[in-house]
Amino acid sequence: MPGTPDCGADAAAYVLGALEPEEAELFRSHLDQCAVCRDEVESFGGVVQALPLAAHQYEPPRGLKRRVLQEVQREQAVAAREGVRRRRTWRGPRQLLAGGAAALVAAGGVVTAIELSAGVAATVVTAQVSGIAGSAQLRVTGGHGELVVRHLTPPKHGHVYEVWLQSGKAEPVPASVLFGVNSSGDADIGIPKSIHRGISKVMVTQEPLGGRPRPTTTPVIVARIGDLS
Amino acid sequence: MFSPRRNLKELADEDLMLLVRDGDARAFEVLFDRHGGPAFSLAYRMCGQRARAEDVVQEAFLSLWRAGGRYEPSRGSVRSWILSAVHNRAIDSFRREAVRPTRPLDEGNIVERLAAPELTDVEAERRADADRVRGALGELPEDQRQVIELSYYGGFTHQQIAEMLSLPPGTVKGRMRLGLGKMRISLGEAGVLP
Repeated sequence: MPGTPDCGADAAAYVLGALEPEEAELFRSHLDQCAVCRDEVESFGGVVQALPLAAHQYEPPRGLKRRVLQEVQREQAVAAREGVRRRRTWRGPRQLLAGGAAALVAAGGVVTAIELSAGVAATVVTAQVSGIAGSAQLRVTGGHGELVVRHLTPPKHGHVYEVWLQSGKAEPVPASVLFGVNSSGDADIGIPKSIHRGISKVMVTQEPLGGRPRPTTTPVIVARIGDLS
Repeated sequence: MFSPRRNLKELADEDLMLLVRDGDARAFEVLFDRHGGPAFSLAYRMCGQRARAEDVVQEAFLSLWRAGGRYEPSRGSVRSWILSAVHNRAIDSFRREAVRPTRPLDEGNIVERLAAPELTDVEAERRADADRVRGALGELPEDQRQVIELSYYGGFTHQQIAEMLSLPPGTVKGRMRLGLGKMRISLGEAGVLP
């Protein structure tokens, strides 16, 4: 019956990521009340975790490793330069982190935390989520942004979430990233474009599959970051 | 603090992640050497194109580098985390392009992972597990294997699969349940799953 979880069959489709977004959300709510489905999800989940092993195994192309490590080195260098610049202005790491947080708060951003990740300070901004369930954070490290969403309502059938960057009152520009969420409503989304100074907001809207050049709906996620200097 | 590369290779994944959290790029490189092959293999299986698979793997590993401090062992192994990230990013790439890869796969000078003469015990066990999982999947009836492959590797929903295969609603989900159930038994008997 539409709208009613089909215990057992839905569990298999759920762990495979094969439920429609609305079905997945309904099933997640159902899991709270159904021990049978929870057991099925745990049982089938182990099988799905093993499925990658069935793919034919190849060596990763050598250029791939080189590019990944080059990007890691680049981000370390950017973070080191920013750290040097800040050390000339502030007295030490605590003041450095506190200063960064103060700038964001003054700009209207809600800084949840300053964390150390990969040995450098990552600024974490709590995003506002409207019209859907879930939570979102924007983490910025060395000019690179990552959107972390948890328990987010999946996009409607035939739609996808699209990320936008906005400077002041200028038109939002596509961040060149579309995403959905896994069966738990979670996703970690790397933002390809640099979160440079002047970017005031990172936003997410729900768009038809393939995305759009301009937002067609009201943002469901807004992270206000102000000036990251 | 000096961390000789030889010693890093002896560390477990979880211990390497602690070093990655602290910004140790050499520990990160060891993780790539250890898991880059399976990650690329999954991405290539899903994407069907070398270039796209490489982009997916690059995104997944860079997300691990940036988010290393948030890894929680209680949520699964490092390898599971990496492969889950690869799987999710491959499906995101399908959404960006609004198309799925078609068969046959673009081979593109990819080097097959052949049996190495000096496999560690862990690597040998993983290879054996891979053979068992392929065997379990291959032993399924065609209709059950097909829906599992289309959903997991293709990123299709059960409704999309039902339309593609001209099947009634519910049939696809039923085949998924039967197929995963059979694999659960088979992999449990083979010792791949507890």
